[in-house]
Amino acid sequence: MARTLMCEIVTPERIVYTNEVEMVVAPTLLGEVGVLPLHAPMVTVLVPGELRVRYNDNKDVEWFAISGGYMQVHEDKVIVLADNATHSSQIDIDRARQAKEHLEERMREIKAMTAEERDGLDECEFDLAWCEAQLKVAESHS
Amino acid sequence: MPNLRDIKQRISSVSSTRQITRTMEMVATAKIKKAQERIESARPYALSMVEVLENVARYVQGASHPLLEEHAERKRIVIVSITSDRGLAGAFNSNILRITEDLMRSETQQGVATELVAVGKKAVSYLRYRGVEPLASYIDISDRPTFADARKIAGHIIPAYTEGDIDAAYVVFNRFKNVAEQKAEIYQLLPVERRVMETDEAEDRVHPEYIFEPSPATVLDRLLPTYVETQIYRSLMESAASEQGARRRAMKSATDNAGEIITTLTRSYNRARQAAITNEIAEIVGGAAALEDK
Repeated sequence: MARTLMCEIVTPERIVYTNEVEMVVAPTLLGEVGVLPLHAPMVTVLVPGELRVRYNDNKDVEWFAISGGYMQVHEDKVIVLADNATHSSQIDIDRARQAKEHLEERMREIKAMTAEERDGLDECEFDLAWCEAQLKVAESHS
Repeated sequence: MPNLRDIKQRISSVSSTRQITRTMEMVATAKIKKAQERIESARPYALSMVEVLENVARYVQGASHPLLEEHAERKRIVIVSITSDRGLAGAFNSNILRITEDLMRSETQQGVATELVAVGKKAVSYLRYRGVEPLASYIDISDRPTFADARKIAGHIIPAYTEGDIDAAYVVFNRFKNVAEQKAEIYQLLPVERRVMETDEAEDRVHPEYIFEPSPATVLDRLLPTYVETQIYRSLMESAASEQGARRRAMKSATDNAGEIITTLTRSYNRARQAAITNEIAEIVGGAAALEDK
């Protein structure tokens, strides 16, 4: 059997996923990074997007939408600290789509405001990126 | 002599109150368990977070970050007071409000302006009563706090600290020690104390060479705010569990007290009944004796 990595995806609210996998591909600030067993210790910042893990001789793949966070690789253990993470099969597409429309409208409202009034822009951007990540993952893998 | 019917009415009113308090006690017991589970499920994240932070801190020796810097002057501070939305939880809320008040007073004496972030209806209404305008108030989150709530609260504090508007931030909350014990506590949220970034273990532990992407400083820059958010989140959850614990204890003693009152009342009811019967017999005997005398 191929050498494996222990992959753990945790959010502040719960542990989303733990499994022995052969490869983890995560969206980082500098683009996608793939982690294989025996990877050097690493800490990296993740951005909203798709995270995937491969196992069972690379035959099985699972996808997750994550909303950014951190990934630590150490001694064949990958810890993903995500603010939000959802497995591709659990994404509620309709809800994400609605939320996205709502957020886009809110974005326009905020942008129309003057600089002093602008409140919650970061938050709105963050939520919007999360919705988009979910939609992207759900649409390409369901 | 106490009226028989009055006593009976009191007994029935006390026992219906006891039913309510007993139910509340049981509900609180069930809720503690859930709240505790939530604390448990948040632990892996918090632990990994601290681990990563420690690793980063080793690489960014003498790390400087706005959230780590202590401001030279103390002019304005923020206190986050975490209370509950509902009462009937014993001293749960009053402890928090008392500590908040004490802190505000001692800071004001030193010429430091204090701002408040109120969490929970109890804090909000207390402040309104005291005529203090909170910086922000959050209600309806104390039962089931989410990480998004914690992030919003942090949103009031972190930028203000980085921009130098405030010079320190504290959280007053009920720490959940165990089911039977909760303690109102205060801790410093900002500046982030440097010791959280130092490992307890001896220096000779072999540390792996970490790669940081994009750079240790960037990682730290992102990590510290999240750390602060995690702290707030944890306090919110501990407070939620403590609330149920405090309510359970308050309701248990209320139920016990009601039981005692019912016992005493039943006793005086029986005594009154007995007295009434004795009285009646005395009257009958007296009446019969009066007839016999003739």
